[in-house]
Order: sequence, then C-alpha cells, then structure tokens
Amino acid sequence: MIRGRRSVVLLRHLVLVLLSAAMLVPFYWVLKTSITDENIFAYPPHLLPTDPNLFSYVDVWYLIPFPRFLWNSVVVSLLAIAGNLVLNALAGYALTRNFPGQRFATLLLLSCMMIPFQATIIPAYLITAKLGLLNSYLGLALPLLSTIICIFVFKASFEAVPRSLVEAARIDGLGDLRILWRVMLPLSRAAIGTNVILAFTWSWNNFLWPLIITRTVSMQTLPLGLANFLSYMENTTSALYAFVVMVLAPGIAVFLMAQKEFIRGLTSGAAKG
Amino acid sequence: MRRRTFAKGLLAASAGSALGMPMIARAASKTISILTWNIPDAADVVNGWIAAFQAVHPGTEVQWLDKKGPVLPAFYQTQLAAGTPPDIVDIQGGLSVEYAADGILLDLTPYLAKQPAVKARFNQDYLANWVYDSRNYMLPFYISKSLLFFNKQRFAAAGLSAPADTFDGLMTQAQKLGGSSNSGFLTLNFDWLYWPLYKVNGIDPFTPDLKRTAFDTDAMIALTDRLAKATTGGAIDPISWTGRWVEPLGAFASGRIGMLQAHSPAYYFIKGQAKWVNEDTLGVAQFPGYWAVPNSHGLGISKGSQNPELAWEFISFITDHAQAMKFATDRRVLTGNIGVDKALVALLEQQDPLGAAVLRTQVEHTDRMTGNWPLANYSRITNTFWSELQGALLGRRSAKDAIASANRQLTRILNES
Amino acid sequence: MIRGGMWRRRRTRQAAVAVCFLAPSLALFFLYRILPLFWNVALSVERWSPLRPTRWAGLYYYQDMLSSDTFWLTLENTMIFIASAIPAIALALVIALLVNSDLRGAAVYRTIFFLSYPLMSVAVAIIWQWMFEQKAGLINYVLLSLGVISQPIPFLGSFDWALPAVIIANTWQVLGFYMIILLAGLQNIPPHLYEAARIDGVPALARLWRITLPLLKPSIFLAAIIGILNSFSCFDLVYVMTHGGPGHATEILITYIYKAGFEESRFDYAAALTVVQFLVLMALTILANRAAGGNAGAVE
Repeated sequence: MIRGRRSVVLLRHLVLVLLSAAMLVPFYWVLKTSITDENIFAYPPHLLPTDPNLFSYVDVWYLIPFPRFLWNSVVVSLLAIAGNLVLNALAGYALTRNFPGQRFATLLLLSCMMIPFQATIIPAYLITAKLGLLNSYLGLALPLLSTIICIFVFKASFEAVPRSLVEAARIDGLGDLRILWRVMLPLSRAAIGTNVILAFTWSWNNFLWPLIITRTVSMQTLPLGLANFLSYMENTTSALYAFVVMVLAPGIAVFLMAQKEFIRGLTSGAAKG
Repeated sequence: MRRRTFAKGLLAASAGSALGMPMIARAASKTISILTWNIPDAADVVNGWIAAFQAVHPGTEVQWLDKKGPVLPAFYQTQLAAGTPPDIVDIQGGLSVEYAADGILLDLTPYLAKQPAVKARFNQDYLANWVYDSRNYMLPFYISKSLLFFNKQRFAAAGLSAPADTFDGLMTQAQKLGGSSNSGFLTLNFDWLYWPLYKVNGIDPFTPDLKRTAFDTDAMIALTDRLAKATTGGAIDPISWTGRWVEPLGAFASGRIGMLQAHSPAYYFIKGQAKWVNEDTLGVAQFPGYWAVPNSHGLGISKGSQNPELAWEFISFITDHAQAMKFATDRRVLTGNIGVDKALVALLEQQDPLGAAVLRTQVEHTDRMTGNWPLANYSRITNTFWSELQGALLGRRSAKDAIASANRQLTRILNES
Repeated sequence: MIRGGMWRRRRTRQAAVAVCFLAPSLALFFLYRILPLFWNVALSVERWSPLRPTRWAGLYYYQDMLSSDTFWLTLENTMIFIASAIPAIALALVIALLVNSDLRGAAVYRTIFFLSYPLMSVAVAIIWQWMFEQKAGLINYVLLSLGVISQPIPFLGSFDWALPAVIIANTWQVLGFYMIILLAGLQNIPPHLYEAARIDGVPALARLWRITLPLLKPSIFLAAIIGILNSFSCFDLVYVMTHGGPGHATEILITYIYKAGFEESRFDYAAALTVVQFLVLMALTILANRAAGGNAGAVE
C-alpha cells in the first residue's frame, strides 16, 4: 500500500480523472440518447440532453416480453455463475497440483481457448441436440458453464497461497476437496469475484448461441429482444439505447457487488503472508 | 472424497434433467414452422394469419420464428445441418437463388402449375426473380426495387426541377448539385443496387447464360473512371461506395444530398430521420432508362420439410388478397400481389401521397430490372466483384487493375460451379 | 524415505484427484471445443456441398487460401489487432495499479473503467460508428473545433483509418476486462513483501519493478492470452461496425471465416480457415507461454 504524499495522491487522481473522462464519453452518449428523442446523427452534436424523458424505458418494457426475457437471462446466468465457480475452482486447483500430464493439461486448455465460437456453431448445435437440450435453460448455459480464462484466474490465485498453509492442512489430514474449500477459496476472494463478474457478463450478453438454439420466443434471453429495435435495418432511436442500458444495469450491479473482493484490506485476518 | 464428487454429480444430473426439459412442441404431423427475416413489428399480422389459417385448417399448428437479418443464414444453415429446417423460409434478395442452386429449397413449379390462379395473382416480373434453371422457387412476400429520391429544395437552389432522364444529364446535374459539403448523387451499394449506373450505359457483368464474365471491357473501365472522378470531384458522395444503410440514408436525411438511389424501404427510414420530408421537399423519380434493381423478400419451402403440402397451403393462403392486404396496410409495403398493391397505392393516395408516389415507382416499369441474375454463387460473386470495384470507385486503384483482378477471380468462381 | 509403493500410490492418487477435478471442465471443452475442431479439420479436407456427396479435397482449400490476396490481408489485419493488445494491456496495468489501493473513490474509478465491458457489442459498435462518423461524428467535430484537421476524416470509410478506428473502439471495450484480470492478480501479491521493501528503503518505482511485475506474471500472461483471443472475440463489434470493410480493410480472420461459412455457404473453406487460425493463434500462445516461463506464467 503506497501511502504517498499529497502531491502524489493528487497526481494519481488527475490521471485517473482524465482517463475516466475519456472512457465515459461514449457511454455518456448512450445514456443521453436513451433519455431524449434525438436523432443520433444530428449535426452539430448536442452536448446536453434536450428534453429528457424516460418514455423510451417504458416503451422497452412493454414492447417486448421484457420480464420473460429477463427471467430467462437470470436463470441462464445463475446457472453459468454456479457452474463456473464449481468447475473452474476444481480445474484451477487441479492445475496447481504437480502430476504427470499437468503441463499437457495446461497446454490443452490453452489450445481450447483458441477455438472461436463462430467456428463451432453447427457442431455445437448438433451436440446439444443429441443431448436433448435444445431450447432449454441448461442448453443455453451449457457451453458457458466453464471458461478457461477463469480457470487460469483461479490457478494463479491458488498458486499464490503460501505452501506452508497447504502443507499444514495436509499434515492435519485434510483431503484435496477440503483444502480447496477451507484453505484456498477463502484466500481467493478476488478470483471468485472475477469469476462471478465474467461468468455473468458473458452469459448475460450472449447473443449468437441463444439465437441458434431457441426455437420458441418464450425461451429467448434478453439480448435477443434486441431484434425488435434493430428491425427495419438498424434503428438508432432512443428505444435501442434504453434497451441497451437496461441490459447493462444488472452487469454493473453484479460488478459493484463483486468488486468489494478486490480491496485488499490491511486488516484481513489470515491473509496471504 | 470420491463419494462427495459422485453425490455432487448425481445432484447436478438430476437438476440438469429438470432444467433440460426440451420445450420444443412435439412435432405433430400437422405442424409447420415459418422463419421470417426480421419482422417482429409485424407480430399482429403474422399471428392473425396463423389464427386464420388454423380456422380454415383445423388441427394444424404453425410455429413462427423470426430472426434478425445478418444471423438468419447462420440459424437456417444450422437447422439444415441438424435436419430440422423450418418448413417455410423468408429470404431476402439473391440469396434465395443460391439456396435454390444448392438444392435446399423445394421446387414450386409443379404447385404453381396445379394452381394457375395463384401464379396469376403476382406481378410476373417480380415472380421471375426467383427462377433458377427455369424453375420457380419462391413466391413474393414483399417487394421493392430501386428508385431515385431527390431533394426538391436542393434542386431548386441549383435551378433544376427534376432528375434528368439520361445518364449524362444526371451526371451534369450531380455536378451542379455537388459542392464542398454537399453532394449531388448518392446510391446504396449492397446487392448490386448501384448497377443501374452501368446498365443504363449498356454494360452487363455476365453473358446472358451467366457462364462467363462480360465486364472486362473499355466501356466498363471508362465508366468506372468517370464515376471515380465524379466521386473525388464532389458530384457523387463517397458514402455511396463505403456506406451500407444507415450512413447513406442518414446522409440524405441530413439534407445535403441532391439525389439518392435506393429502394422503397428507404422512404420510411428517411422520413423517420428527417423532419423536413414532405410532398414539397422530397420528390421521387425513376432512374434514367427506368432501370432498377429489385431487392425483395420471397417465401420458399425447405426441401427437408416434413409437410410440404401444408407449407404450400400456408404460403398460398397468406399471399392471397385478403391476407396479404393486412400485411400491406400494416407495414405499408408492396407484396407483389397485383390486386393488393393497387389497393394499397390507392389507399395511400389519401393518407400519404408521397408514400403512394414512392410505391407507384415500384410497380412501374418492372420489365426494366437488372442486378437480379440467378447466380448459384450469388454471395461470393457479389462480394468479390464489389470489393474489387469499390477500390476503383474510391480511387484507391486504377479501374483497369481492379476490373482485371475482378475478372480473374470471377472467372475462376464461375468455372468452379 | 518415502519410496516405492507408498510414494507411487501417492503420486497416482494425486493424478487421480487432479483428473477427477479436471474432468467436468474437460468434458465440456471436449464437447464444445475439441469435437468442433475435429469437425472443422475433417470438413477442411473435403469438398462439401448440400447437393452432392462430399468428396476428398485434400489440401485444395489450404492452397486456395495461401494464394488468395484477401487471406493475407486478413492475416495481416489480425496480427495488427493482436499487436494492439500490448499498449492496451500496458494502459490497463497503469490503471490497475492506480486503482488498486485505498485511494478515495477507487471503487468509483474501478466501476467507471469496467463499465464498457458488459455493454452489448452491438451498442458499442453503433456508438463508435457515430463517434467516427464523417459529418456528424463527435471525433471529427472535436478535431475540427480544435483545428487539428481542416477536413473531416471519413474514418470508417477510409482504407487507412478504418482498422485503427475499430481497434480504438475495441480497446475501449476490453480495457475493463484487462483491468480486472490484472487487479485480481495484484491481490495475489503478499503485502508483507511491500512492507519489507519499504522498511528496507526501496523506492516506489523499484518496488514496482522488482516485486509487483514479476509476481504479476501469471496475470500479465493471462492478459496477453486475452489479447490473442480478442482477435476473434471482437467479432460482434467488427461485424456490426464495418462488416470487414471498406474493401477488406478491417477484415480479420474471424469475420472472414463467418462470411465464408454463413454468407457464402462455403463451409469447407471456412473450416480450413478455422484450422489455420487455430494453428496461428496456438503458435502465438505457445510463444507467450515460453516467454512467461512455461506453466502459464506461474511464479515459482
């Protein structure tokens, strides 16, 4: 923890403020367009929203079966988060163990990452169909139940746990599962937080996979409702942006909840080291 | 430890089976599905059709799937690969011919032969857009072709009254209307929509049998050069060659373009974007030589359909006067059904005369359509040709080189099939 | 000495546990990544057509690819895209270091930088399309107002500017992602090391260089991998923003693959491209892994 002098602190704030401002500009425009009726291509661009209103948000709620889509997205994302936490922690832990084939497993997982979803659409669909999971919640969540990046996040976090703690637990006779649960995970709150955030974001925003495997409107997830606003070939109305903001909100909420884990308190008890 | 994992696995499996209950309606022998291209706003009409159809054919079920344009092919191909293609599919433009050539669509010629009344209800020129190898593959769903929109205020400012009816005249006008920030002419470029510029000068890209290219000529090179110079000179807006839909139409809506070549759906988009559009400020005309490129949606039946007879019943049902009229009035589009289209235009004369004028251009001179060649490799040829030509039109490379390169590649593709 | 039977039993038991733990994830990846890869490999050596039965094509599509100008341009664009991850990660690292503290409002900053990542790519694409617009776009408006340029630049319509524009939009979107990976990594560094260094009088910059960066290796490695993955996970953004255009100026391997497959119905060619992309990215990954000291950058 750098307890700098006032000037250093001020400098840090300055840099952060400048960078934040740059990051926020596009986002501000999304927000602004969602609360006005303006044509986004109006020239010159208006910096402040003219005549703000929340009608677009109301429109969105009623224009598509928003609650139903929301529910579907929630279920799928909860499945994805649960799956990710369990499967990734297990896999990440396994990769920290020294066993014959560990390097191979690591390389295998790395190589699996290099296969983009677009190249797997048809086989993935056929496999899911064989499993009988088309148009179902599990089918929607299945490809996302474990993600390799998050496995590595756990791996890195587990590796940072001091050997001494692990040894002590082993001497106490704890099995691997218990070590994982009792020793590793409590010290990997940031990794857990990251997993939750990423699993949620990826499953929440997933567009192509739900589109391919849902055959009934009642199973569609939230991003698929986007079609309504992009019908008639790319609309740029405020309703689209209101929709986008509404889809974004839960992601931010999850982030806010999970990012507490990123703060390393000086007072954290049996902290690493 | 193992017991724990096993128990966990069991729990997960049982939970999974509960969540994994497929919710696909059991495929009854009388169920058909229809896949449409991005018309969720027409939900009322489509559901009305389904209800009306079920009233006439009790015991049947119609499943409606609607997918957004760019991903519809991905969805459709996946369903095909899985052996469960939607019975009826709505395809835009030349892609349908490609699917027909691939053998994915059912040949509708025998059905039309058995019911000549159905065939007669359509504008035959539009119907011909979906003929491959002398066989019909689709019925018109909603149709459009390119026309010329012009900004009357810009024209008046330049001392002009209406677009010229010759190509040279048009170019001169574009020159006059162009300026530092204004442009005289803008066109859409996807799906060959720019081709009237070439066709009016007598240039065709292929031989009539579509087996060989025919554009590696001096005329083509000269015209491309001319268009490129007009683009750098300000007469033609470069967005013509780089934009897709939103950008070009947005540019016209901003009021700085003199003429726009686009198909009728552009009217509603522009109207939504520009407050200045009304009868006195927006004019419609035909392109010189009355040349236009159609860009329509058709309804076809998948070859892998389990219920082709029922599917045919449905598409002939919804393209019939009563049903098609609902679609036409709801979405203000032309359906290719002659009677319906006449009635729609008449209806619009009172409500939206400008819209009526736009739609009238769509059913006039339907014998002068170009850019609608039934190519088996439609997408590949269109994309390859355009990516070469675009470079020349933007002045990135010489027209000679671009056209030679395009010729090489297209010849290869045509020889492959 | 633990030798012989007992030791070997322990080792096999370790291996068994590890395999057990890896099994569910691996099963998933087997189904959804490895099998599809084999499907692609098989398809890439066949002449596929919905009408005719598939015929053997051998290396036909690979030869086709290597002699295609478009392919090489696409590959070049993809490499540029990946290279752009380096400054992006550096920037994210700076940000992560700045917000990883009890600096007042750190939580706010963290949220601001992460905000762009969960935003749907379609929305990001449209907003940046507008920002880069020639006539009505914000960037041209600002540049013109500041007098930096005298004529507006048609960013997304220009063969030279389109790729940088798309890269900027993409960087804006994934910066938050890099940031949280690096932040998570920063949490893994024991604070007592800093304390000891401070007591020893080591200046802040040296602390950064000697302690933070080496111990951040696994996370930086992960960020580099994400940078490589980004060359195809940015698909939605590129596809909507420019569709690979103008010409093929922003065509990257993944858009090329998607178009070949789902727009031109050339699944065999698309499969060959997928295999080649896989090999190229795998090579980069192995290089990165080597550079990070193997084992995904794990610190010994």
